[in-house]
Formats: sequence, C-alpha cells, structure tokens
Amino acid sequence: MRVESDRIDAAIAIQFKDMFRDMATTVDGPVVLDLAQVTFLDSSGLGAVVAARKLLGADRALELAGLNPAVEKVMQLTRMNTVFLIHDTRDAALAAHGVAPAA
Amino acid sequence: MTNLAFASRKPPAGAPPLIIGWCYRVGISATRDQVSQALVQLNQHLIGLGLARDALIAMELVLAEVMNNIVEHAYCDTGQGDVALEVIVHSNTIWCQLIDNGRPMPDGKLPPARHYDLEAMDILDLPEGGFGWGLIHDLTSSLSYDRSGAQNRLSLSIDLDC
Repeated sequence: MRVESDRIDAAIAIQFKDMFRDMATTVDGPVVLDLAQVTFLDSSGLGAVVAARKLLGADRALELAGLNPAVEKVMQLTRMNTVFLIHDTRDAALAAHGVAPAA
Repeated sequence: MTNLAFASRKPPAGAPPLIIGWCYRVGISATRDQVSQALVQLNQHLIGLGLARDALIAMELVLAEVMNNIVEHAYCDTGQGDVALEVIVHSNTIWCQLIDNGRPMPDGKLPPARHYDLEAMDILDLPEGGFGWGLIHDLTSSLSYDRSGAQNRLSLSIDLDC
C-alpha cells in the first residue's frame, strides 16, 4: 500500500486509519506500507500506523518502507523501529517477500 | 487573527552572539487542519532561511505535538479558540512561544514523558497514543509552562545544531 499524502498528522490520522481498514480487508497476507512520499509523521500519525498494525491482527505482518528522515526520527525516538520491520524501499520490501517489483 | 498578545521578550542573558535574527508570528483557530497548514507555511519560511534540516524536523514535530495538545486538551476539540505562535531564530537557537486561552495543564504543570517497554508488549497491546510529551521533552533544549490569568504560555527552544 502506498500512502499518497505528504503528511500523516493529527489532521488526517482518522482518515488514514479508515482508508487502511478498507484496503486491508480486501486482501490477505502481509502488508507493506510505502511511506516514501510521507515527509512528516507526528504522534497522532504514528498512533494511526500502530492502529493499522493492530487491525491486521497478530497473524498478519505490517512492514514499513521508504522512510524519510522526519519519519525515521519519530520511529527511533518512540522506539517503534523495534516493533516494525523497516525496509529501505518498497522494492526491497517486495523482494524480501519474493515479489517482483511492479513496473 | 487572534486576540492573544505576546509580552515583549529578550534572549536570555549570556546567550551566544547573534547569527540570525528572524521573527515570525501567526494566529490560528484551534483545529488540527489549521495546525497542519500553519506548520507547512512556517517550514517553508525556515527552509528559505537555510536552517539545518534536523533542527527543522525537530521543530515541526515539537510544534505539531504542542499545538495539537492545545487543540485537543486545552480547547477540548471544540475548534473554538485561538492559538498564537511566535518563532524567533536567534543565537543558534529556534525559540518558540505558544499562547492560548484554553484550560490549564493538568495540575498546572507540564506532563512528564511516558515510557513504554514496547519490546515486551504483545502486538495487540501496543499503545496508539501517549508519545507526544516524550517527543517534546526529547527534542527541546528548554521547555517551560506558565499559566497567567486565563492564558497558557508555553516556551521552548530547539538548538540549530541538534
């Protein structure tokens, strides 16, 4: 799943959660969240990503890819980088799951 | 614009020599959308000044946390009320002051950082909130709060070489 917003902040956290829920229920298996376009994440946005993780349940993974410096900083400071598997890029994440990158 | 007034302020005694002098003030209504828009605009100004990226990341994050706290807690998410922000870049530091007319902080003081032992937690027990004050305390080099009359005043600073 690719996030097509520059920010996941308090202003769109609820919308993000709703959209994630709608998309996640249409597919099975692990989900990679491509955050390459996201240049800002605050604690509300982080809460929404955690909520997304919990929504998938213990049996499905949520992994993150393409973290910009501001997003990476939040993950480090909150130690959420110990909870989520983080890939450098979406293609690296897909390759790790044996999926060829889409053209 | 808001009806909130800033008291005149001076840099603290003994501050290092001035490298940049720059001041910015903005007043917004207490909504999440206005916070988001104000921060995008402020960041564009500061990028234009050529400030260090890491300091700007820290500042935007800290201001998002404190301003959304004002929206959600001081004004109880009513959307009614004003928030005034003043940013001064001076002496290798970004100084920020926030004023609002909302409810005071709990017990009249700054909330502490909350710490979680995430690695010991079950996935489904992970916290979805409570990170804000930890981020604010971690990223600021000074932080103070006072209630004067019906106003909350929060002052903080971020080092430009953080």
